[in-house]
Amino acid sequence: MTVAGKAQALLRRRLCSPTFAHAAFKSSPESNYSKLRFLISSSIAEACNNSVLLLGPRGSGKIAVVELVLEDLKAEHPDAISVIRLNGLLHSDGNCALKEIARQLCMEHQLLFSKMASSDDNSQFMIDMLRECGLAHKTVIFVLDEFDLFTQGKQRLLYSLLDAMQTLNSQAVVIGVSCRLDADQLLEKRIRSRFSHRKLLFVPPSKEDIQRLLEYLLHLPKDSSFPSKYVTEFNTRLSNILSDKKFKEIVDSLLDVDGSVSNLLRLLFRAVSYMDMESGLLSLENFKSAYLCTYRQPKIDNLKDASILELYILVCMNRLETKEQNSYNFNSIMKEYKAIHDAYKTSDNYANNVCLRAFEHLLEQELIGFTDSKGRTPSIEFRPVKLLISSRELYQGLKSNSSCPAILQKLFDHESYK
Amino acid sequence: MGTEGATPERRTTRSSSSLSKPSLDAPKTPLSPPQSLPFDLLFSDEPLSIDTLLSNLPGRSAQILEISRLIGPPNSPMLPLLLYGGVSTGKTSAILQIFHHLNRPFVYTSCRSCHSPRILFESVLNQLLLHRRHPGNGYSSARRCERASDFVNLLRDALSQVTGSLRGKKSKLDGNREMIYLIFDNVERIRSWNKSSDILALLFRLFDVLNFPEVGLIYISNAAPDAYYSMTGSVEPVSVHFPDYTVDDLFNILMLRSRANPKLYSSFLSVVLKPFFRVTRRIDELATAFDPLFQKYCEPLADLNLVPDESMKRRLFVRLQPHLAASLNETFRFPSECSFEAIKEGTCSKKGNIRKLNGRETSNELDFHMSVSAKYLLISAFLASRNPATLDAAFFDSTGGSNNHKRRRKSSQAIMDQKDETAEEMHMKGPGSFPLERLLAIFQCITSVGEGTLEEEQLEDGMMTESGNVGLMSDVLLQLSTLCNANFICKSGSCPLEGSTRYRSTVDEDVALKVARSINFPLSKYLYRR
Amino acid sequence: MLPSPISDPPTSSAAAASDDVDNNLQPFFVLHKALPRKSERKSSGCGRARRKIDLPPSSPKSIEKSDVSSPEEANDRIYEQLRLQAFNRTWSKIDSTIKDVLRQINLNLFDEVQRWVLESFSNIKSIRPHKVSEIQRPYPLVTDTICRKIPTALIFTKNAEFVDDLLTFQELGGHLKSSGCHVAYLSSLDFSVKHGISGCLRSLLRQLVSEAPDMADIYILASWYCEPENYDNPILLIIDDMERCCGAVLAEFITMLSEWVIKIPIIFIMGVATTFDAPRRLLLSDAQQHLHPSKFTLGSPCEKMNALVESVLVKSCSGFSIGHKVAAFLRNYFLRHDGTITSFVRALKLACIKHFEMEPLSFLGLDIPDEDCEIFQHGQCDSLPDSLRNHAFNLPSCQREKNLKGTGGSLIHGLTELRTLQKGWSSAVMCLFEVGKQKNMQLLDIFCEAIDPTLYNLRASDHNLQLSSLTGRSLIEGKSGFAKGGFIAQAIQQVRELPAASLSHLLNIWVVHIEEMNEIQDRVRELQSIISSGGGGPVLKEKCTDIHKRSISLSAGKGTLSVNDKAAMLLEGMVRKFLMPIECVPFHEIVCFKHVDVLQSALIGDPRRTIQVDLLKSPTYLQCRCCSRRGNVLSSSMHDTSIIYSLAQEYGDIINLPDWYQSFKATVSAGTKTKRKLQHSPASKKVKATPSESEATIQARFCRAVTELQITGLIRMPSKRRPDFVQRVAFGL
Repeated sequence: MTVAGKAQALLRRRLCSPTFAHAAFKSSPESNYSKLRFLISSSIAEACNNSVLLLGPRGSGKIAVVELVLEDLKAEHPDAISVIRLNGLLHSDGNCALKEIARQLCMEHQLLFSKMASSDDNSQFMIDMLRECGLAHKTVIFVLDEFDLFTQGKQRLLYSLLDAMQTLNSQAVVIGVSCRLDADQLLEKRIRSRFSHRKLLFVPPSKEDIQRLLEYLLHLPKDSSFPSKYVTEFNTRLSNILSDKKFKEIVDSLLDVDGSVSNLLRLLFRAVSYMDMESGLLSLENFKSAYLCTYRQPKIDNLKDASILELYILVCMNRLETKEQNSYNFNSIMKEYKAIHDAYKTSDNYANNVCLRAFEHLLEQELIGFTDSKGRTPSIEFRPVKLLISSRELYQGLKSNSSCPAILQKLFDHESYK
Repeated sequence: MGTEGATPERRTTRSSSSLSKPSLDAPKTPLSPPQSLPFDLLFSDEPLSIDTLLSNLPGRSAQILEISRLIGPPNSPMLPLLLYGGVSTGKTSAILQIFHHLNRPFVYTSCRSCHSPRILFESVLNQLLLHRRHPGNGYSSARRCERASDFVNLLRDALSQVTGSLRGKKSKLDGNREMIYLIFDNVERIRSWNKSSDILALLFRLFDVLNFPEVGLIYISNAAPDAYYSMTGSVEPVSVHFPDYTVDDLFNILMLRSRANPKLYSSFLSVVLKPFFRVTRRIDELATAFDPLFQKYCEPLADLNLVPDESMKRRLFVRLQPHLAASLNETFRFPSECSFEAIKEGTCSKKGNIRKLNGRETSNELDFHMSVSAKYLLISAFLASRNPATLDAAFFDSTGGSNNHKRRRKSSQAIMDQKDETAEEMHMKGPGSFPLERLLAIFQCITSVGEGTLEEEQLEDGMMTESGNVGLMSDVLLQLSTLCNANFICKSGSCPLEGSTRYRSTVDEDVALKVARSINFPLSKYLYRR
Repeated sequence: MLPSPISDPPTSSAAAASDDVDNNLQPFFVLHKALPRKSERKSSGCGRARRKIDLPPSSPKSIEKSDVSSPEEANDRIYEQLRLQAFNRTWSKIDSTIKDVLRQINLNLFDEVQRWVLESFSNIKSIRPHKVSEIQRPYPLVTDTICRKIPTALIFTKNAEFVDDLLTFQELGGHLKSSGCHVAYLSSLDFSVKHGISGCLRSLLRQLVSEAPDMADIYILASWYCEPENYDNPILLIIDDMERCCGAVLAEFITMLSEWVIKIPIIFIMGVATTFDAPRRLLLSDAQQHLHPSKFTLGSPCEKMNALVESVLVKSCSGFSIGHKVAAFLRNYFLRHDGTITSFVRALKLACIKHFEMEPLSFLGLDIPDEDCEIFQHGQCDSLPDSLRNHAFNLPSCQREKNLKGTGGSLIHGLTELRTLQKGWSSAVMCLFEVGKQKNMQLLDIFCEAIDPTLYNLRASDHNLQLSSLTGRSLIEGKSGFAKGGFIAQAIQQVRELPAASLSHLLNIWVVHIEEMNEIQDRVRELQSIISSGGGGPVLKEKCTDIHKRSISLSAGKGTLSVNDKAAMLLEGMVRKFLMPIECVPFHEIVCFKHVDVLQSALIGDPRRTIQVDLLKSPTYLQCRCCSRRGNVLSSSMHDTSIIYSLAQEYGDIINLPDWYQSFKATVSAGTKTKRKLQHSPASKKVKATPSESEATIQARFCRAVTELQITGLIRMPSKRRPDFVQRVAFGL
C-alpha cells in the first residue's frame, strides 16, 4: 500500500475511534477523565460503593471517557475490577437487564451461564456475586449507558442494584451515562435516596482545546513507518491549514451548530477521505467540500428535485394557506389548481389522477403531510393536508429549481407580497 | 427502488415464447445440490472495473466516487454512512455495484422484505453465519433472535467469527483486520413498524453499541436524515444525497436500457421526454409510460433499424401526438400491447375473452351486472351521501302528508343558509355518512318513484301483483352487503351517540349516473347541486 | 303447555284456508312463547294442509282423503317413495347439466389465462439469471429492469355479486395447477389491517411450503423456490375478491413482492367484480407502478343464464319444466333481486322440490324422455290406483280436452305427445333465440314469452283470421298477432332485416336446431340453395342497402318474396306450428310446475311484514274464545307483545315510553277484572293466573314484550339522546 494510503488509513482509524480523540484530554487535571478516574480508583482503594452520573449532549464523549478510565484502571489493578456494561436501548426492561448482567458476570468469572434461568434466579445470582466480589475485594463496575431509559417503567433494576449495594457489604460502582441533564430527576424517590448525587457534566470543548485536539488528531507521528520527509511535509502543510483563517471560520461555524467532538470528527473524517491520494497531503479544499457536504438542507434539495406539476401543487397549497383556509384536502387543492389554469391558461393542465400521483410523491418526500392522525376514510384525497415547509423555503425552492416556470414565480410572488 | 441496468427487449422474448406451447417443458437450469452452494458474502463473479461501474450508472458518478472515498481503502474503518434520495434514484444499485467493484464482503438487508424486527435481525445473522434455509432445517433461521439485546450479542459473536475467518483466508497479513459491511436498505420503512423509535435508535447507534471497529454500517433511505431525529438527540451518520436525475441523465439511462435502434429511440425520446419530465421525474414511471408509446411510435415503420431523417421524425411525431396527450394524463394503464393479444388475434377469434382497454374509455352503459334493487340501493346510498340530510324532505316528500309543505319551506330556508358551508363540507369530508334508516327511507321513496319503469315490466310479465317496491324491499339488506363487498358502500365508524353503524357511499358521480341511466331513473333531479 | 291448536279443527281449516297463512305460521312463532312447538307444528301441519290446497277445489281427492283407508295409505307411501326417487334422479340430472354448462363457459377463458401465464413467465425467465445461487442472494440482482413489475391478470367477473365466481376461481386454480404452476389462494381476509403484511405472507407460505416455521418471511419462499422440485415453475397468487382487500396492506404486499419478482416468478390473478378502475381506487400509485396488468373477462351472468336456460329449461330432457308464471317470477327474481346464477339455481331446485312434493303423478314425468320405456310406463300407468288415475284425468288440462277416455293408454299417449310437442317447441325457441342473438336478446325473455299460454291463444285466434286474408304484405308488415314489441315479433322482424351473409349463417344454425322435423328442414335447405345460387340477389342487395324501400320492391315483385321474407315466414310458421306452450298440452301438470305463490313464499317469505301482520291480528291464529268474538278490540288475554304492538300503532315514528306503558297497563288491568273468563282462555293462563297483578309484574311483562319487539326488529331501543323514547323501525306492511 502506498504511503498516502497508509497515512489515510491511520487517520481514519483515529477519527473512527472516539476513545482516541478523548485521550487528548487525559493529561489535564480538571478534565472529566481525571475526575472520574479519581472517583473510581478511590472507591476501589477504600473498597466502598459508589455511584455517579455522567451527563452531557450526544457525542461529547461520555462513554469514551469511561472506556479510557476503565482501561487504565484495569491495567493498574489487573484483577480487582469486573465491568458490567448495560445499554438502555437494549436492556431497558428489568428481566432482560438482569439476564444480561448474569451473562456478563458469568463471562467475567468463567462460570456457566444458563439461558433458562428465571429473572429471580438472575437477580439472586447477581446479589450473590456482589457479595462474593465484596468478600474478594473485587469491585464490580456497572456502566449504564442511556441511563434515562432505565428510568422508564418501574425502575426495578436500578432499585435492586442500588439496594443490594446498600445492604450487603459489596463494593460496586454504578456509572450512569445519559444525554438528559435531568436524568436524576427521573429517578423514583426510593432510588434517588440511595443514589449518590455525584454528576460529571460534559461540556463542549473550548476553542483552544479544539485546536489542540485537531493537531493531536491529524498530525502524523514522527517515529513511525512513514518516511520522515513525508511526515514533516504533511505536518507543516497541516499546520498551515489549521492556522488558516478560512479553516478557523469553517470550524467555528460547524461548532456553532453542534459543539460536540463527534461532530468535528465527522467533518474531519469526510475531509480525510477526500484526501488527494497522489500527493498524499490534505488541502483546505478537502475541508471546504467536506463542510459543504455536511450541511445541506434536505427540504430545499427535494424542492430542487420536484417536478413542475408538484411545484404547482405546492404553490396551490401555499395560496390556500395564505387565504387562511383552516383545513383543506386534495380536492380543494384541485379546485385551486383548476382555478389557476382557468385564470392563466397555462400549458400544464393535467388529469386528476396524474395530479394525485404527484400529490403522493410530495407526501412520500414529506414536503406535505396529513393533519389527521389515521386515515379513517379509505381515499386519501379527502384527508386534510398541510405544507411541511415554510413559504420562504418554498420561495427559495422555486428560485433554486432550474425548470420552474415563470408563471409559478409570479403567482407565488404576487400573492405573498400583496 | 429502481435499479438501472439492461432490461431485455420485450419483443424478442415474445417472439420466442409465442411459439412455446402451453406446457412447462422449459430447459431446466442445472441445479447444484443445496448444501454445496457457493455462498459467501462477496459477489460471485469477477469484480467490475471502475469504468464499467461509472458507465452502468449514468449521472451518478459524483455519488459513486464520494461513496467509495468514504468507504475508503480496504480494511480501514469508516463512520456509519447514510445514502438518501428520492425513490428510484439508483441508491441501491449504486451501492451494490460499488461493492461489486470493490469486491468486499457485505451483508444486505432490505427493511421492506424484512417487515418486522425479528426477521431483520435473523436475516442479518443468517447471512453472517452463511446459514442457508432448506427443508432439512425446516426453513428455520440460524439463530432465533427476537430481542434487540440478543441481537447485539449474537451479532458481535458472528462478526468476530466472520472477520476472524476472513483474516485467516487472506494470506497477506497486514496490521489491521478485514472490514465487513452491513447494508440496511429502505430504512424509512421501519418508521411504520410498532415500537419503531427503539429500533431506529438502535440501528443508527449500532456502531457505538457494538463498538466493533471492523464493521462498516451503510443505511439507505428514501427519507432525508432529518426524518430520523429523535427526542433524545441522535448521532447523525455521514450522509450522501442522491438527487433526482436531470433530463440528460434520464435520456442516457433510457438510451442505455433500450435495446432498440439507438437513432430511432433517441429521436423518440427527444419528442417524449420533455413533456413527461414536467409531470414526473421518476425513472420507473417514465419507463413504464414510454414502453407502449414507443411501440406506437414504431408501428408505421417497416424495419426498425433504419435511421429516421427529419421528415420521417416529423411524421412519426404527428402520428404520436394524440397518444402522447392521452398517456400524459394516464397513471395506470391496461397495456393495449399486452403481448399475447397478438396470439389471440391469430388463433382464437371466438368471443373475445380479452378486450384491450386503453385506460380512459368512457362507455355510457354499465359494464357489469347488478340486480335492479341493488342499483336502486346504490343510487339511494349515493344520494344519501351527497345530499345533506336536512334536504331529504325537500327532495322526496317521504311522509307524503299535508305537513310537508311547511317542511319544504323550512328546508328551502335551510338550503339558503346552509348552501356555502355544505359545499365546503362536501369538498372537505367528501361523501357524508348516513344511518341505515335514512338509506332505507330514500330507497323506498325512489323505488316508488321508479314505479313507472317497473310497471310495464310487470304487465309484460304477469306477476308481481304487489307494487314493485315491496318486492324490492324484500331482501334489501342482502343487497346492502353485496354493495359493501363490491366496495361501493363502506361501513364508516359507528356514530358515538347511538351505537348504530353508519354507511358511506364511495361511488363517484359518473358511475352513479351510469347506474341511473341503466334503470332510467332521473338521478340528476334529486341531486343537490352546490 | 297450551293446548296445541293443530288438534282442534278450526285452526287447521284456518291454516288450510289460504296458503300464506300456512307459511305465515313460521315467522309468527319467532315470538319465544311458542318457539318449542314450532318444528313439530310445521312438520305435521304443512303436509296435510298443502295437499288440500294444491288440489283443484272440485277434485275428488278431498273425498278420497275423507274416506281414506289403510291400503290407500300404503299406496300413498309407495308413491311418495317413487316421487322422492324421481326427484332425486331428476335433480341430479339437472344439476350435472348445469355444472357442465357453467364449466364449459369458463373453459376457454382458462386456456387464455394459462397461455398468458406461460407468456409472462417466459418473459421473467428471459431476464433472470440461471444460477440458483444468484436467486438466493439476499440483495436484488444488479441486472434488473428499471421498474420491476408483477404480471397481473385482472379477471373481471361481470357481476357485483361474487357468489357465482367463488367456484370459478377454484377451478381456474386447479386448471393451472394441472399445468405445473404453484398456486396459492389469498382471500381478502388475509389482507387485514390487523395482521398486516405478515398475515398474507403466512397464509401464502402455509399453502406452498409444507413445513413452514412460525415466522413468515419472503426468504423462506425464496429458498423453497430454489429447491429443485419447485424450481422453474411460476407461482400464481389468486385473489378472488380484490375489492374487499385492505388497500394499504395489498399495496405493501405488492411492493414487497416486486423486489423479488425477478428471482421468484410471482404472478397475480385478481378477481375484480366491478369496474376497471377499482384497482386504481384501491392502490396507491407506486403500488400500481409494480403491476403489469392485463384484462380478462368472465362470461357475464346473462351469457351464463342463456346457456343455462337453454340446457335446462328449453332443451330439458328431464321430466320437469316450469309454467309461465313461475318462469316470469324466476326471471324477475334474477333481474331484480340478486342477479346470481346461484340463487337462480336454488330457486329452480326449490321449484323442483315443490313440484315433486305436490304433484302426485310427477314420478311419471321422469320417464317421458326416453322412448324405450313405454312398456315400463304401461306397467306403471295400469298399476296406477284409480284415485291417482282419476286425479290424472281430472287435471284441468284434460278436462279441457273432452275426447279423453280415462285409460292408462291414453295417459301414456298424452305423455308421449307431450314429449314430441316439447321437442318441436324447444327447437322453435332455439331458432328464435338464434335470431334474437343479433339484437342481443336474452334467452330467458324469449323463453318467458314462448311459454305464455295467453299469448299463444292470442296468436292462434288471429292466425285463423289471417288464413282468410293471407297476404304477404300483412306478414311483411309484421302485423301478426304477436304481443306488440314482444320479443318473438322483434325476432321475426329481425329476420327480415338481416343482411345476406348473416342470414345464410343463421340458416345453417337453424338446420342444426331442427334435425328431426323434416319438412321444415327441407324448406330451410331450399332457402339455403336460393342464397347459394344467388337467387333473389338484387332484392337482397337492396335489403342490405335500406329496408324502407322494401315494401315497394315487394309490391313490385309480389310473387317472388325475398329470401328474408321467406325465412321470416318460415320462422313465423314454425312459431305458429310448434310454439305451443306446455301449459296448453294435456297432462302438462305432471311435468310442469305452475304454483308461483308457493315458490315465492318459500323463497322470499317477507318475514318482517308477516311478523307485523301476525302481531296485529294474532286472534285469527290462536282461536281463543276470549278474543275471537270481539273484533280487533284489544283484550287483556291477548299476547303481551301483540297488545304492545297494536298500541304502538297509535304513535308516529317515535313512541313515548311512559304513555305506552300506561296504555298497556290499562289494557292488561282491564283484563284482570274479568278474570273469571280468563281462567278458561288458553292463550295466557300462566301469566294471568295470579290474582293480584302487581305493578312489578306488569312492568316486567311490558319490558319483555318491548324487548321482543326489539328482537324482531320492529322498534329500536331508546338512544342516549332521548332516553324515554323508542323509535319505530318498521312502518306499514
